[in-house]
Amino acid sequence: MLVRRDADDIREIRPRTAMGALIVVCAMLVLVVRLYQLQILRGEVYVVQSIANFRKSLFVPADRGVIKDGKGRTLVDNRPSFDVFLTPAFCKGKERDEVLEKLAAYLRLTQEDVDRIKTDYQKSWFSKDRLERVNLIPTPHRSYHAPVSLGHVLGYMSEVTPDELDDHPEYRRGQTIGRRGLERRWERELRGADGKQNIAVDAKGRELDKDTQEALIPESERLVPATPGNNLVLSVDEKLQRAADLAFPGRAGAVVVMEAKTGFILAMVSRPSFDSNKMSGRISRQELKTIFDDPLKPMLNRVMNENYHPGSTFKSIISFVGLESGAITPSSTLFCGGGYTMGNHRWRCDKPAGHGALDLKHALSQSCDVYYYTLGDRVGLDAIAEMARRFGYGQPTGLDLGREITGIIPDSKTITPESGSARAHAINSAIGQGEINVTPLQQAVAYAAIANGGDILVPQIVRRIESPDGKVLREFHPEIARKLGLKDSSLQAVRSGLVAVVNEPGGTAYRSRLPDLEFAGKTGTAQVMKLGQKQKLDPTSQAYFSRDHAWFASFAPAADPEIVVVVLNEHGGWGAEAAAPAAAKIISAWARIKREEATPGTAASSVATSSMVR
Amino acid sequence: MALGVTEKKLDNLHWPLVLCTLIICSLGVWNLASATKNAPIVMALVQFRSMLVGAALVAVLLLADYRWLQTMAWPGYFAAIGLLGGVAFFGRRVLGARRWLQFGSMQIQPSEFVKLAVIVVLARWFARDETGVRKGQYGILDLLRPFALILVPVALVMKQPDLGTALVTFAIAMTMVMFAKVKWRDLVILLACGVGGAVFAWNRFLKDYQKQRVLTFLNPEAYAKGAGYHAIQSVIAVGSGQWSGKGWGEGTQNQLAFLPEQHTDFIFSVWAEEHGFLGGVILIALYAFLVLAALDVAANARDKFGSFLALGVAALFFWHAFINMGMVTGLLPVVGVPLPLFSWGGSSVVADMLGIGILLNVSLRRFMF
Repeated sequence: MLVRRDADDIREIRPRTAMGALIVVCAMLVLVVRLYQLQILRGEVYVVQSIANFRKSLFVPADRGVIKDGKGRTLVDNRPSFDVFLTPAFCKGKERDEVLEKLAAYLRLTQEDVDRIKTDYQKSWFSKDRLERVNLIPTPHRSYHAPVSLGHVLGYMSEVTPDELDDHPEYRRGQTIGRRGLERRWERELRGADGKQNIAVDAKGRELDKDTQEALIPESERLVPATPGNNLVLSVDEKLQRAADLAFPGRAGAVVVMEAKTGFILAMVSRPSFDSNKMSGRISRQELKTIFDDPLKPMLNRVMNENYHPGSTFKSIISFVGLESGAITPSSTLFCGGGYTMGNHRWRCDKPAGHGALDLKHALSQSCDVYYYTLGDRVGLDAIAEMARRFGYGQPTGLDLGREITGIIPDSKTITPESGSARAHAINSAIGQGEINVTPLQQAVAYAAIANGGDILVPQIVRRIESPDGKVLREFHPEIARKLGLKDSSLQAVRSGLVAVVNEPGGTAYRSRLPDLEFAGKTGTAQVMKLGQKQKLDPTSQAYFSRDHAWFASFAPAADPEIVVVVLNEHGGWGAEAAAPAAAKIISAWARIKREEATPGTAASSVATSSMVR
Repeated sequence: MALGVTEKKLDNLHWPLVLCTLIICSLGVWNLASATKNAPIVMALVQFRSMLVGAALVAVLLLADYRWLQTMAWPGYFAAIGLLGGVAFFGRRVLGARRWLQFGSMQIQPSEFVKLAVIVVLARWFARDETGVRKGQYGILDLLRPFALILVPVALVMKQPDLGTALVTFAIAMTMVMFAKVKWRDLVILLACGVGGAVFAWNRFLKDYQKQRVLTFLNPEAYAKGAGYHAIQSVIAVGSGQWSGKGWGEGTQNQLAFLPEQHTDFIFSVWAEEHGFLGGVILIALYAFLVLAALDVAANARDKFGSFLALGVAALFFWHAFINMGMVTGLLPVVGVPLPLFSWGGSSVVADMLGIGILLNVSLRRFMF
């Protein structure tokens, strides 16, 4: 092998190694500068990012506020339960199907649910959070102990929508939010504030052991406790609510029981109702469809979101129009010959033979139509409309429970010529027919004004808001919208008519009188169908849907009224038969409850309530 | 070799290089112990064993004159290519790449040794080739044979695929070529054509998803968990080390496994996270010293063969260290290149030790004619 002595070549390489050394030093300095940039100049930013990597906030849900009735009984609270969370990033493909199959068996999910979860999976495929994993998270669920008839008052809970999440960043995906009723209206008070627990996890999302936890996350940052929501104390009396629901005979309709002097609502039934528990929990699409397709519309709160012709219950208001304007006096009489003629149209009275000459008291107690046709025709449509509006009709009552419809009070400006002359409208309005439409809640407010001497009250259902430890945060006081300033004589006259309706032979609700308690009220039978105006309905239900609505608006005790009871029995028929007996039962139940609470055996609860009744 | 000169030889041993190597090895094992704290086997000990094996081989090889390697160049070269061929057919497939050969319970990664074989065979070629001397300088055409020598193993490594090792092997060879007397003009033309062509093709003809595919194909590990994830986590690890680091075994990015491949390609991130800017600068300085020492050995070698051998090893350490640290600090794209004597891996540790052995051997015999 040839071994060259190549010292010369080496000498030529030498300057290049020097150049090489320079390049090496420069390259290494570049690295040093880069380290300086990352570690010294931007170090703090990366420290934050490295902490964010292992720190995971677990959500600590706040207990939602409890809802109690006026006597301190729990209507709504929370029951502990667990939410199952599956994270697509950690459970895919075949594993996903297996897990879902098992879960479906454990949780009794339907195939529909499983399919929906799979669809959701596709959507969340791009989830960026790699640290979430399959988990069980304790989440208090809403539990409604109140009777189902309170469904519309209480409302229910359901998952927040993406739009709501955009508006309210404090909600997390999958959390629930109050829908309808009090749950919705007082969402802010009831919700409280969620807390969080910061834990340290590794790259696979596994929670680290206790020592590492303590080393990585400072004590002060480990737990931000949740603030429980505030409690609502209602004016509703659960016992009376049950009694009202029990007393109400119809398939559909509404009952309002309200304190006559304060406007606080003691019971409120809208039938049919919905089960808040069911609506808040897992409900199948089929069940939801059944509810929403039900011709009786269970989701409709008939107390404030549906209106009806008031029928003869409106005669009390017409009486005030006559008395206040001087068109009649309590003792003046009008003649009923069985009908009233205007031009070529004749309005008939219920009693074809006619009532003869009647004063106000008898006109009310026997509900003579002709008396009121005559009076209505005399005072005119606009005077009727004005008095109706003073009594609160045609406008929201102000009950703080969500949307409320206004009803319709026609006057000469709103009627169309095709619907008839102002006179014809006045005559129809005088017996609560024609275009007049009112809500049961408006009836309660108007009759409370008659009972309490002319105060139009704002109905309320929440007495106070309490902190979780029972401190009163906000107390609601009776609110008077306005004073009617009616003449005492007018009030006396109408009241005595209403007392006669129940308590004097010949009164339309005489059969509903109570032996031990004198109450007053007015029956009403609102015609639903006009001839030739039959709606297209299922033949089997046609009979039902064309029946009249039965009304009874009342207050008790007659001498010093404490409560107003309004009953509307949709398609129930005669007010005297289908509504007045229910009102009588409710009044009787109210009296019984009051008596029971006054006796020492049950004194404890009445002491607790004494402060809430003004 | 007469035993009488042994004492003399030990005096001639490049002690600073030995010391520097020992420091890097110690820090490497210590750092690996932190990076693999949660691993079921004591990987740092296994690494230490590999280092001992490498050191023993070096000690034995020091007995022979490095010129013996001239006769071993071709057999070594073909043996290396043979091993790469074996990998292509029998290699163990991990994350979509065949890189390892299984011998009983031992796995070796032939591409690590291919680098050494290429260094030796190129050194031999440059040492013996008369063209440069005759013409005074090499032109492009004169370099066709050494290029052919490089391309076969590089192509085989690319096919595994192992973009990082292929690149480094190519870079080492190119560095050696640059130290030979190549016409500057030709060198510039060569570089310009290569770089320009690649950049042009990349920007002009490839769509984003194609680039992604190419990158994923060439380097599947880096893209297995989503492109960019490695690089981002690594930069967070390095940056969060700040001045003095989080302390040994305290790096959250490392210990909680946010840092991927923390014991192999991203070992420097572990070091920088736990020992900060100060530790980082020290390690960079150690590698710089190692490369400078190798260049010193090259400059003072007895013959051209020894000089080119030392240059090759200098290039090996430089490119590995620079590309690796550049990549984990986000300066360079993530291609899998280990950090010499720091990254986990028996083959690369033994190969690196052999490289050090070559340097010591060349330096030891610099006065022997």
